[in-house]
Amino acid sequence: MPLPIAELVPEYIRAFEPYTPSRPDPELMRQFGVDHLHRLNNNENALGPPPLACKVIREFEAQRSAVYPSGDSFFLRKALAERFGKEPDRFLVGNGSCEVIASVIKAFCEKGDNIVTADKTFAVYEWVAEFSGFAARLIPLKNYAYDPDGMLAAMDAHTKILFVCNPNNPTGTWWDRDTMERFLRGVDGRAIVVVDEAYREYVEDERFPDGMELMERHKNVVVFRTFSKMYALAGLRVGYVCGQQEAIDYIRRTHIVYSVNALGQPAAAAALLDDAGHIAATRRMVAAAKALLLPAFDALGLRHVAGEGNFVMVETPVSDSLVYRQLMRRGVMVRTMTGFRFPNWIRVSLVQEPVMREFVAAFGAVVAAARAEDAAL
Amino acid sequence: MNFLPVAAAAAENAARAFGLESAEALRLGLAVEEYFAYLCRFAGREEPLRLTLSRGGTFVRAGFRFRAGAVSLRALNFAARIDIEDEGAGELGLIVASRTTDRSSLELSGADVYQLSAEVDRKYPLGEPIAAAQRLTPPLRVEDAPGPGLLQHCALLAAGRYAPRLCPRSFRRPGRFVDMAASGQYRALAVLDAADRPAGLFCWRASGRRGVAFSGPYVFCDPAEAALAAETARLLTERFLSLVARSEVVCAFSERPTPDLPRGWFERLGTLAMPDLAEDGAGSLAPQPAYVRHLREDVGGAVWASPDLTDFLRREYDRLAFSRDLLPAAPAPQATLPEHSLLATTLDRVRGLVVLRPLLDGRDFADNLAAHVTALYEAVEGAPLAILLHLDLAQPWQAALSPALAANGFAPRLVLPHGGTSDILVCQHAAAHS
Repeated sequence: MPLPIAELVPEYIRAFEPYTPSRPDPELMRQFGVDHLHRLNNNENALGPPPLACKVIREFEAQRSAVYPSGDSFFLRKALAERFGKEPDRFLVGNGSCEVIASVIKAFCEKGDNIVTADKTFAVYEWVAEFSGFAARLIPLKNYAYDPDGMLAAMDAHTKILFVCNPNNPTGTWWDRDTMERFLRGVDGRAIVVVDEAYREYVEDERFPDGMELMERHKNVVVFRTFSKMYALAGLRVGYVCGQQEAIDYIRRTHIVYSVNALGQPAAAAALLDDAGHIAATRRMVAAAKALLLPAFDALGLRHVAGEGNFVMVETPVSDSLVYRQLMRRGVMVRTMTGFRFPNWIRVSLVQEPVMREFVAAFGAVVAAARAEDAAL
Repeated sequence: MNFLPVAAAAAENAARAFGLESAEALRLGLAVEEYFAYLCRFAGREEPLRLTLSRGGTFVRAGFRFRAGAVSLRALNFAARIDIEDEGAGELGLIVASRTTDRSSLELSGADVYQLSAEVDRKYPLGEPIAAAQRLTPPLRVEDAPGPGLLQHCALLAAGRYAPRLCPRSFRRPGRFVDMAASGQYRALAVLDAADRPAGLFCWRASGRRGVAFSGPYVFCDPAEAALAAETARLLTERFLSLVARSEVVCAFSERPTPDLPRGWFERLGTLAMPDLAEDGAGSLAPQPAYVRHLREDVGGAVWASPDLTDFLRREYDRLAFSRDLLPAAPAPQATLPEHSLLATTLDRVRGLVVLRPLLDGRDFADNLAAHVTALYEAVEGAPLAILLHLDLAQPWQAALSPALAANGFAPRLVLPHGGTSDILVCQHAAAHS
């Protein structure tokens, strides 16, 4: 009799929960009986990509699909190097930033090592560490923000990487330059510090630290950025890591080649060429959406957290998973926050005004119904 | 069969080594002997029979993994009848084995592969519940990993403040509760006040592959301190959800929800009639609300439904806002079914609770179910008993059993979303003994 498959699997994999992506829109619409679906769950940029990236996508020739892409995103790294004034070899491009997270952890961690990050942040740092067999030390947020002192106190001789999501997803809180500098001095080069700047293009405050500049003074800093958020290329999956040459050389040894497709590479490179107008328009859209949503939440008497980034969090009077299902029946998809360890909160992506108004109406109706049901009990 | 004495001796010795006293060790040895003998004779002979002896913290378990082969499994039904004239069938041994354990259960572990578990509990002394209200001083804080002393104290505080039906029985034997927590049978959280005095307790255990069943929250402050009590309950509930949120758990179900459960955190599934027993086993059935907390974003799904269940399921899914396609489940033609059905029975005599799960369909299903009901009420000798039957709606043949359930006095009570392979329909027998 063959062994149960489970007995062939390491314990840390058995304990790990696979991520279940949402189903495609047509299937969700059929399931929930709606004729439209506004995706406010993944912080996508509803304006779409910048114009030159759109042009590249439109003109992509089908025959090019028959040819492997550049294995190391040669031209895209060159474009990034020109943009940031660094050598192309200091960039590694991946199939979204999730892939580069895995590359960094594989490069620096070995048995017995740990990583340090926050308890309520982007889950992939914790997930990749744990399914790779490394401990994730999770430091509680303070006032919805990363706690630098708590993270430093959690370090030990086996801490190899500290992940700082700046601004933090899902709270939008961020460390200013002084906080970041103080933290990096505290780390004192004892471990790699990953500064994940997935949402940095949304930040206008001059006190926000620039990871690309930090890494020149702190050799242990590596920076993640993505084309999935501000640049609206989430469907093409392009993210990258940049750091000092030596650190990147080690990460390259664990990094998968040929993982970034032939359309994503030139579209991302083109997006860098004309992004000023696109970024400004996106920031205006986000600001307008916040101006609409936050007073609406106040009017409902609900707490909310709105920092930097194209999203806000709001507390729900009933289970967030129930609110999710009720909103789906009204054609609106949000992200439940229980999985981020914020039970009874949802996160809402900030998009154009008509959709935001539809969300406000649907959310208000769901909240009212929940309160009426509670009052009836 | 040559290994029978080895298996029985191994079970008895392992039981002693794992902390059982002699009488309990003998019980496990006897059960293993009977099960082993039966399975050697009747299970699929071309495959090995695997026996695992393990310590479960508060019990010792003998687990048999075997392939059924072509042999009928009807004798593994709890209600299997004993034919005294046909002693060679070995069914008497099975009955003896199941009666000598504290719990026996049978689960499908793959195609035609079964896992038979027999468990015998360790003995623990009774503790004295603490009824005095606690004077507490804020601020409160959550203790994620309460130590044995704190757990014992919290268990006795809860036992002193809450009705027995709202407390795991182990609260009255706090050493058992501590061992259950240490071995992972339960996980527990405590809330402490500014002087590290216990203010509250919350505990939960695994329920199926992707669920947890929770008990609590238990709040220990002076009843006049409503705000402090609410804060304690909120801290416990929020921390519990945060801890299970990034695990394999999809749903949290209430097992013993207390009136202190904060509103707005869980969805009400329905009501079950559950035994409200005193320490001596006396008592009656009392209504107990059931709550669920879904921890993920539900993407909808399809379940099988017998026509007589359609209205109930549509109403429940609509009320809970779960999107489900109902697929019509029709019973298989009698001629295509094996003669005998098989029901997995989990009987917890201490709680007065039975959960039945259909494992194999058969032409005798309705009769077999009726025999189970009779045998179960007989087994508890008139004590209050809740008989639940779980149908996994991912299985069309299980969904199609609904008319047979209704004919035997079972009625649908609630749906557990993601409680099994798919959703679980919980039916309860209209108790003759209450």
